[in-house]
Amino acid sequence: MTGQTPPPARAPDQLPSLPALAPLPALAPLPALASIVAVARFQINRLLTPPRLALAAIGAAFPTAVLLAATKARGSALDTDLGAILLYALVPEAVCMLGLLVTICPVVADELERGTWVHIAVRPGGRRALLLGTWLAAVLWTGAVALFALLLALSVGVIENGLILLGPFSLLVCLSCIGRAALFSLPAVIIPKRALVASVGVALVVEYLAGLIPAVVNQLTVSLRLRTLLVRFMDWRQNMPIELQLLVDDRPPWAQVAAVLILTVVFLAVAVAIVEWRQFPPSEES
Amino acid sequence: MISLSHVTKLYGSVIGVNDVTVELGAGAYGLLGPNGAGKTTFLGLVTGQLRPSIGQVRVFGERPFFNARVLRRIGYCPASDLTERSATPREWVRYLVQLSGFTPAAARRLAEETLEQVGLGEAAGRPLSTLSKGMRQRAKLAGAMAHDPDLLVLDEPFDGLDPVARHELVTLVRTWARSRSLLIASHLLHEVEALQAGLAVILGGRLVASGSVHEISQLVDTLPSEVRVVSTAPRRLAELACRCPEAEGVRFVGADAFIVDTRAPRLLADWVVEAANAEGILIRELVPGDRSLEGIFGRLVQVHRGVAP
Repeated sequence: MTGQTPPPARAPDQLPSLPALAPLPALAPLPALASIVAVARFQINRLLTPPRLALAAIGAAFPTAVLLAATKARGSALDTDLGAILLYALVPEAVCMLGLLVTICPVVADELERGTWVHIAVRPGGRRALLLGTWLAAVLWTGAVALFALLLALSVGVIENGLILLGPFSLLVCLSCIGRAALFSLPAVIIPKRALVASVGVALVVEYLAGLIPAVVNQLTVSLRLRTLLVRFMDWRQNMPIELQLLVDDRPPWAQVAAVLILTVVFLAVAVAIVEWRQFPPSEES
Repeated sequence: MISLSHVTKLYGSVIGVNDVTVELGAGAYGLLGPNGAGKTTFLGLVTGQLRPSIGQVRVFGERPFFNARVLRRIGYCPASDLTERSATPREWVRYLVQLSGFTPAAARRLAEETLEQVGLGEAAGRPLSTLSKGMRQRAKLAGAMAHDPDLLVLDEPFDGLDPVARHELVTLVRTWARSRSLLIASHLLHEVEALQAGLAVILGGRLVASGSVHEISQLVDTLPSEVRVVSTAPRRLAELACRCPEAEGVRFVGADAFIVDTRAPRLLADWVVEAANAEGILIRELVPGDRSLEGIFGRLVQVHRGVAP
């Protein structure tokens, strides 16, 4: 009987209907956007647990602790340039990188582990919403932690004229989170179960190794843009040795911002295409 | 509603489903098969999680994979346990409804209504991690039903439920399926029987039988079966049994027992009893082939695996 059509066990129209239900509400005006926001909210709620909050607090306090230690070792407040270098390494680089690694990398692996992937994958646009919503949550969460870390570091007064760094560094933090969250979403969807290790590899090889090669390849990195913006904001370029000038871009700040946004769109588009097309056999779920 | 045409799904060299062709119209259907038979893969293809390696899958006339129009009309409750730790059933169901494209206010309303329907109203505010497996099953079911899909696909939905909860949910799903379509995968025949659903039996990735319970019983009637007889005079009784037109073969299994191969075990059993009465032979044991649904299922499994003749 293989291939035959089983008749319905009973004709639905001959059975008593269910009690009258309230009419089904209309869909959201922008369902795709609504889904992304819903995922972002849900993911942020998942992050609001005591261990995660404690981790975030440590991350936020870490730059200040390092700056205080540097000040103590030096015996005086850090001058603005040295403070900016340290602050750049600590906040837009270290805090943002670490925050993003723990928030965006598990985007698929966590859902598979919790047994929630399949619930989301069968929703219209669910996979896309999961990726973009988690990206948004990662940017907001890590951005908030990093901005708090920045504020804290500048408010303790260990950097001379430190408050002038607040605006430029806030922009660097935002760009770092936006661009790198998109970058780390690629390993997260390509090799979900090894995403963290792969993302650390990507950070080291792409952002720090390729980003420091004065060739076309570094144009594709977020670190080149952030470095260039830092040099521009601090007006260091004219005093830089020529070999170091090769490590920054000549184009104006708006072009650096645009480049990060373009890279973000490209990374996310590729990640969305992969996650939409990806299949997980039942054995891989939970 | 659901159409699979020569569908094969491969996971590397492992076959999930093998050359399945089936047409399922609107209504309720049970997909039966033992663990590992390919039920979840079948459902994965229908719910657009998987693409067929060969063949074509159509749901509501369209390919379900990466198709928002189709997915919007499907509700799926997977077999895997929900180990989401922090969310409550209310948050979880609301989240899923929002992912189906509803506004937060509409999602809230639909989630509340559905959680009441599945009997989770009071526990809706407790974290999922603190709920029993049965309650999590209800939460999963609510998540699948809340956006009011046209087709509800359930994979082993009653696993881990106590008998009372099982009865409640069977009733709920049955009521729900009166006005919409249902596809339920299970390895327990009585669950599907209770839902009064049509049957499709899947074994080793192949669809081996489909139809109503009655049709499958008729199919099994044409399959080889056997009757085991233990008697004080087995050789004489075996000789009499051989005279029955339904007997296809006899073999002895010990000093006092024999087995008769037949396609009509009940008729043959009646024949043997009458013959024994007429000859004054004592029958100690007479076991005809199991014709219950469990028996039918077991028989199909045996035939498929080549264990049965």
